[in-house]
Amino acid sequence: MSSYAPTIPNDSLKGPAILSIIFHAAIFTAVGFATYHSKGDSWGTVGGSMSVGIVGNVPAVPMPAPDVVSENRVVDETKGLYKAEEPPPPIVEKEAVPLPKFDKTKPEPKYKSKPSKLLENPKPPPSNAVPYGRGGAPNVPYSSPSMTMGAGTQGGMSFGSGGGASGDFASRYSWYVQAVQSRVATNWLQSTVDPGIQFAPRAVVTFRILRNGQATNIQVLRSSGNQSVDMSAERAIQEASPLQPLPNDYSGNYVDVEFWFDFKRQ
Amino acid sequence: MKTPNLKNLRTDEIFAWARLIVAALILAAIALCGASPADAQDWFKTGTGLGVAKARVAVPEFGAAAQPAQPLEQTFHTVLWNDLQYSGAIELVSPSFYPTSVPTDPSQIRTTDWSNAPANTYMLAFGSLDAQGSSLAVSGYLDAVNAPAPISALQKIYRGAATDADARKLAHQFADDIIARLSGGVPGIASTKIAFVSNRSGNKEIWEMDYDGGNQHELTTLKSISLTPRWSPDATRIAFTCYAPYNHIVSAQICIYSADSNHLISFPKMRGTNSSPAWSPDGSKLAFMSSSKGDPGIFISNSDGTHIQQISLSRGVSTSPVWNPKTGQQIIFVSDRGGEPVLYQMNSDGSNVERINMPDMGYVVDPAWSPNGQLLAFAWRRPSGNFDIYIMDIVSHQLVELTRDSGRNERPSWAPDGRHIVFESTRTGTRQIWSVLADGSQAKQLTFQGHNESANWSPK
Repeated sequence: MSSYAPTIPNDSLKGPAILSIIFHAAIFTAVGFATYHSKGDSWGTVGGSMSVGIVGNVPAVPMPAPDVVSENRVVDETKGLYKAEEPPPPIVEKEAVPLPKFDKTKPEPKYKSKPSKLLENPKPPPSNAVPYGRGGAPNVPYSSPSMTMGAGTQGGMSFGSGGGASGDFASRYSWYVQAVQSRVATNWLQSTVDPGIQFAPRAVVTFRILRNGQATNIQVLRSSGNQSVDMSAERAIQEASPLQPLPNDYSGNYVDVEFWFDFKRQ
Repeated sequence: MKTPNLKNLRTDEIFAWARLIVAALILAAIALCGASPADAQDWFKTGTGLGVAKARVAVPEFGAAAQPAQPLEQTFHTVLWNDLQYSGAIELVSPSFYPTSVPTDPSQIRTTDWSNAPANTYMLAFGSLDAQGSSLAVSGYLDAVNAPAPISALQKIYRGAATDADARKLAHQFADDIIARLSGGVPGIASTKIAFVSNRSGNKEIWEMDYDGGNQHELTTLKSISLTPRWSPDATRIAFTCYAPYNHIVSAQICIYSADSNHLISFPKMRGTNSSPAWSPDGSKLAFMSSSKGDPGIFISNSDGTHIQQISLSRGVSTSPVWNPKTGQQIIFVSDRGGEPVLYQMNSDGSNVERINMPDMGYVVDPAWSPNGQLLAFAWRRPSGNFDIYIMDIVSHQLVELTRDSGRNERPSWAPDGRHIVFESTRTGTRQIWSVLADGSQAKQLTFQGHNESANWSPK
């Protein structure tokens, strides 16, 4: 028999054990640190939506702002004032059901089909009705008729209200919203758009108003498909800056604006 | 994968792994620490088509408890109403739709009374006057009433003397604040002044009045001929054309009047005819017409008269320079070097002279550049008729006619909000000063006595 015997390597476990302890300790402290440091209410107990993205909150990593707000359209500004509606469904009388007698049950009332909106019994709209979808802004206090322009102008505002504590700027400071809308609209000149363009789809531009009224971060969120219209929209906002300073009793340092532009040459 | 045999790892490999893991832990720790509740990011959405929607504002009578305050309240309310009406930025709700109770305090407002039809009010301007002895205090509020509870946009106390003149002044200030709030920061013009030339004291002198024609008074008493007043950009000086001797010959010279000290400031006199001064937008330079070196051309100097240099070199007459108010890099002027007087544009050092082509023949004079740099107003006498005021978009050269069939209309001047124009017109038979909104509506006569011309709107 050769003297070759597998020698049991005499490796002590000291080194690896120490390393292992170090790494485990580091992991536990990190986890413990995180657990005890995080504020208890940052997991959605505040009403409304919020972003819970680790990567999204790393400083110096530029990420687009999370879209946390939901739309709550108070005023439908694009539809006409009159819409042909179906007549209200007939009220179905249900007899009171007495205490159940299991041997006898009342038959269900027969389902009456509602008349179809399109085909059966179409009610002709009154002669002065505005065709559906082509009316302008309704004549309600916060949306006034436009000054000089004729048909085809789409003027108006939509008050967005987001979730939670944010997004109710529009309802608290509606006069400020109206002032910004008026200022930017005044600075949007038809002549800055390529003369060959008669009509363009809606362009949406976002920007941020700082405390002193300065407009920054002007970016086209949704293009109209037409570079000349997009640039004239950006230009309108640049010309309008500096806007009015933010209201005194508003606690934030800035407010973000989403501004839409509907171009139709007059 | 072969698990690393820890014992056989070299020291630096151990450290490499350690660094990696520690880095990952630090990153995780930072991330979890940095996780705070999402920043409350307020926002709103709005938008527009072409054209501007005007806010509907109601202005009821103001409260005036004490007897001496009541005639002042009449003046205050009338002036406030006219200022808001003439601003061109808001739409006033007719008083016949107002509810009968007059609110003097935000707690007294019932918003449904105002926001329902037929009033359909969006903003309510109200308040009260308090006259104590010889002092007057006006509490003014501007509230939005389209919500269940009124939202305050402005609340301010205005103080002055218990006189009619001060009631007017406070009304102008309140109107300016309302306009600034509702038009998104464009200042109102209710406290601005207009300088003009009037001969009602016997000679043509420089006069000044409020923008609505009130408080007309004389500024200069030179007892010669004074023309073409121009306010400096800080509204402290007026440069104008005066007649003064140079080398014992009385000729047209540039004079500067200081509104602070009520005196003339010295400016060098030159030979020949010197007129039509125009301030650069930063107030440091003056452009004017001078014939001191031959044919009348455009000269530029510092505002104290030093460093005079000629920038237009051409035969014929070049006059009436105006600077680009936004950049101060271009000058538009009138020249007849091509035959008849038309508008030319050049850089402020005299280079790159270009003619502004018009679609028709005729004299084009008196250019006035709007404060936002985008529109040019001028007087044009087309072959078919008299001088009329036109507005041209500088970029697209589209023209809008502002006056028609109303005598001769000349020398337009823009208001600092870019929405109003003051000019002179002979439509009543005598030459008087009129003001109008830039879309041609609400023409208003401001002067009634004597012969008045050459109006210029102060920038503040």
